[in-house]
Amino acid sequence: MASTQPTSIESATPTLAVRTRGLTKLYGSGETEVRALDGASIEIARGEMLAIMGPSGSGKSTLLHLLGALESPSSGTIELAGRRYEGLDDAELTALRRDTIGFVFQFYNLLATLTAEENVLLPALIAGRRDEAMRARAGELLARVGLSARADHLPSELSGGEQQRVSIARALLMRPELVLADEPTGNLDSRSGAGVLELLSELNSSEGHTIVMVTHDPSAAATAGRVLFLRDGRVAGELEGGSTQRVADSFASLEAGGDGEPDRTRIGRVAGMLRDVLSRAPSR
Amino acid sequence: MRSFAALAPRQLRARRLRALLTAAGIVLGVAMILGVLLLSATIQRTFSDLFDSIYGRADLVVSGSQASGSLRTSTLHEVRRTEGVAEAVGNVQARFDLIEHTERPPPEPEPPAAAPEGAPPPGAEGTAPPPGAAKPEDEVTGEPLNVAGQDPGAADFSDTETVAGRKPRHGREIALQQSWADANKIEVGDRIRLATPSGTERLEVVGLFKFTTGLDFGGQGFATMPLGAAREIMDKPRGYDEVQLTVSGGEDTIQEVRRRLEHSLERGAKVATPDAKADEVESQLQAFNVILYFFAAMALFVGGFLIFNSFNMTVLQRIREIGMLRTLGSTRGMIVRSVLIEAALLGVAGTVIGLALGIALAKGLVVITREVLEVPVGELRFTWWALLAAVVTGVGTSVAGALWPARRAGRTSPIRAVLGTEGLRSRPRRRRAAIGVVLIVLGLGGAFWLGAADETTSIVAAAGMLGTIAIFFGIAMVSPFVIKPMVSVLSWPLRRVFGVEGRLAADAARSDPGRTAATATGLMIGLSLVVAVNSIGASFLSSIEDEFDRSFARDLTVQPRGFAPGQGPQQTIDRDLRDRLAKIPEAAVVARERFLFTPNLPGPSGKHGSEGLLFAFKPDEYDPVDQTDIEGASREQAFDRLERGWVTVGQGQADEAGLEVGDRIRLQGPSGSRHTHVAGIVQTVVFGGQTIGMSLDTLRDVWGVNADSELALKATSADARPILERKVERIVDRHYPNLAVLSNDELKSDVERRVNEQFAIFYAIVAVAVFASLFGIVNTLSMSVIERTREIGVLRALGANRWQVRRQVADESLVIGLIGAVLGIVVGAGLGWALLKGLAAGVPGVVYEPPLSTMALVAVAGMVLGLIASVLPARRAARLDVIRALSYE
Repeated sequence: MASTQPTSIESATPTLAVRTRGLTKLYGSGETEVRALDGASIEIARGEMLAIMGPSGSGKSTLLHLLGALESPSSGTIELAGRRYEGLDDAELTALRRDTIGFVFQFYNLLATLTAEENVLLPALIAGRRDEAMRARAGELLARVGLSARADHLPSELSGGEQQRVSIARALLMRPELVLADEPTGNLDSRSGAGVLELLSELNSSEGHTIVMVTHDPSAAATAGRVLFLRDGRVAGELEGGSTQRVADSFASLEAGGDGEPDRTRIGRVAGMLRDVLSRAPSR
Repeated sequence: MRSFAALAPRQLRARRLRALLTAAGIVLGVAMILGVLLLSATIQRTFSDLFDSIYGRADLVVSGSQASGSLRTSTLHEVRRTEGVAEAVGNVQARFDLIEHTERPPPEPEPPAAAPEGAPPPGAEGTAPPPGAAKPEDEVTGEPLNVAGQDPGAADFSDTETVAGRKPRHGREIALQQSWADANKIEVGDRIRLATPSGTERLEVVGLFKFTTGLDFGGQGFATMPLGAAREIMDKPRGYDEVQLTVSGGEDTIQEVRRRLEHSLERGAKVATPDAKADEVESQLQAFNVILYFFAAMALFVGGFLIFNSFNMTVLQRIREIGMLRTLGSTRGMIVRSVLIEAALLGVAGTVIGLALGIALAKGLVVITREVLEVPVGELRFTWWALLAAVVTGVGTSVAGALWPARRAGRTSPIRAVLGTEGLRSRPRRRRAAIGVVLIVLGLGGAFWLGAADETTSIVAAAGMLGTIAIFFGIAMVSPFVIKPMVSVLSWPLRRVFGVEGRLAADAARSDPGRTAATATGLMIGLSLVVAVNSIGASFLSSIEDEFDRSFARDLTVQPRGFAPGQGPQQTIDRDLRDRLAKIPEAAVVARERFLFTPNLPGPSGKHGSEGLLFAFKPDEYDPVDQTDIEGASREQAFDRLERGWVTVGQGQADEAGLEVGDRIRLQGPSGSRHTHVAGIVQTVVFGGQTIGMSLDTLRDVWGVNADSELALKATSADARPILERKVERIVDRHYPNLAVLSNDELKSDVERRVNEQFAIFYAIVAVAVFASLFGIVNTLSMSVIERTREIGVLRALGANRWQVRRQVADESLVIGLIGAVLGIVVGAGLGWALLKGLAAGVPGVVYEPPLSTMALVAVAGMVLGLIASVLPARRAARLDVIRALSYE
């Protein structure tokens, strides 16, 4: 069941992929200061598939951006595979992203001028590696995501689901320690979305990729081994191995059982949104 | 794709239209640069060929103070007697024009093959057919002929080769340059009729020659004839225009002889090597070249600006993609390089097309220079360095233009992969505006300096050029601040007329003031140059016309065709003509005017001033035809003093040499030198006030000039004017086809035409810059349409029809065009004012005159250009699919 206690593991273990301590992110200052993340401490095990859920403004995207070294925290530390982010300069962060993190975006972000295969190969080209091994790996990955036949197609010739598969293959090319997916199904119809989620889940279970996914969608979150709920920049609970219905319930109760100042209108809104989502979600 | 670098060409290929629009500026800029460089190389080559050809193996050339000043007859003997001189030959020169076609005379017995040089002419000079034999409908045709009369027995240094017939030996024989003869279908043995200073003359063509350099002097021809006949026909009974000589010895001896001659010869005689003479012409052309370079640089600058603007937009548009590349681990350097490679590729492509266009443009410019500016230029010459310079500037400008956008792209945070352009728009920064204001002020200073400089040295030209560019940069930096209020004002009528679409268009133009400003700035540059050039031209013209209206009491002017003091050999009027015209009963006054253009005007104690015009007349004759204001003395007083050998000084020269009425002034010429006094200061803008007025006697005694340059006539009454004009025209047309009769209005429009023609070449170049900025507007509008896709979708969903959508885009374009025009008018007026103030420092009496009609035209042009630019983007917006537009990310 949902727990409102933050996850805590006493010490780092070799199987730990990510550990954050007291992550805080402030935007703006003075009157307009926004506390997007307020002391989030989480740990993600190697080979885990974690979904992060939360209402708008809960800080889930910010957490993902911090994990991906796209932004730096106002305070707190992040450790990826035993390596801390703080004190790294732009060049080092760039190298870190290139070598250890794979990104999957809501809008795919494929280069329109490159074929599917070239898009997958792009990280290698950026890294200056254009050996046969990389080429072969790109081929394998395309096969893995079921797009071998479409390797020479441009993004505009692919469906949304196919484009997202290409971007997943691209994220895996450099064998990253961590794959970050930001609303990977947010721009897809439910069938394609389900396919993409299935692919992510398989990549996690059969090949042991560590995947962190931010989502609005309880059915998407339900594919993850563990769901982390964020609220007002803090970890508000988590759920392990839940079904779509359980995730949705937890989400709703999380909203309701807040911090003693229940905001009726907001609860009402979120509940309405959830009903909406559930009616569309494929039953599992 | 083999590497990351290969991404750049892909990006270009994917956005072909954008690439094309971006490269257009470079294409036009490079074409401009190459066209101008080739033109200036061609002009330079033409003149170096000219001097190589006509001076040939001469080591030194002695000439009068003017291009065709008069040397005393004794000068030739003095030169020959000078130690170190091997051979010397003197000549007289004049410009003849061909009249109608030739008639083939019955075949004459071919004269014996070229007689040995040095055989003295038999002295049998043919008698001239009486003037008046020509038919009244005779017309001057073809290009002029530059004729030199020299002693057939003396050495000929010129670099020629006789290709048919022989050299002229005596009498009215002439040898022609083959290319000119061919162009006019003249063969050896023909008798040709020529308009000469002494009227129409018939000459026999005895030979054709060609220059070994293959000189092409813009179609003008060269000819030689025996000295005796030449003196008679050219109305130069005494003296020489030029003495050429060779020296027995090397370079050292040449310099030694030069010093010796300078010391011993009459004052005012100039001794120079042919190379030095070529250099002199080149430096005279320098100012023209500098102005050409200036405009070409402006065109290229607009091209660079277009690149800057376009890449800025592209970077913004691709920001999500760039962010994604950063998340994939691209370093800043890689992103910067990728943008720069893209710019370089565009630059190369644009340059290649620009080169082709530039060659075509150069051909056009050569024709304009030859036909309109009447500077003789040969066929287009190619120089590798011009091509190289065009390539380097073309590619360099595109890369330079992309530097800032590339830097901006490099600074893109990887988070943009998620956020896209959200919250990205930066506000215009105050500090930037402050820098902009400083740049504008500095720029105006530079432009002022350019105008004020006596000589257009490279440094001054560079200062003016940098100054102008600084102004444009400054405007570009300040303009984001003025865009919002300007849009509010300019779009008011749009909102009134078009309601919602008008307001949306105004919002669109206002939403990114930086981009609107940059686009309008591109247009502003071209339009401001139009206004600046025009305000200089208009100010001069109106000042000159004012003077015409004020001081021209004459009714008619007779002057040589193509009259232009200071250009080429001074053309003169047959002395008989004045007497003949004076006999017309309707002629109250026929006043003689004699001009001599000199590179050094006299000053106090003979100190040489700048170039200008010596201007002589007979005071009692001249008074009725001229009303120019004279300061420092009454008219009677001043004219009386002129009779006694004093001189008047133009305001410009008076300011420059610090002369006042009564001051001593020293006159120095080939025929004499004397001290005299300043009789009055003449308020004139003719020749920028760089004039010295004197009596006919003074000019003759000091400079030896004895022939009339112009005749000014006054009728006995206003009623008699048309009769006088008819009679004068009849006499002149019949006997002196080389002369023109002009009424004051014709004279005025002649001056106006000349001024406009001088500016034609600049307008042609500026037009290219304006054209280039058009592509900038198209580019911006396309971006605006892409950015507003969703908004357009909403409008369509709410029931807006295609026409309304189209109008919204057109309105935005109209606003941008108008802003460009308004800025262009303001900046152009300021630039023109600064340049003119600078110029006016040397030319008192010229008043800044805002060219109002041009300004109005420019405003209309801005709107029209805006509308033209909006055609394609508006169509694209109107054709957007509603559903897809609504779901556009």
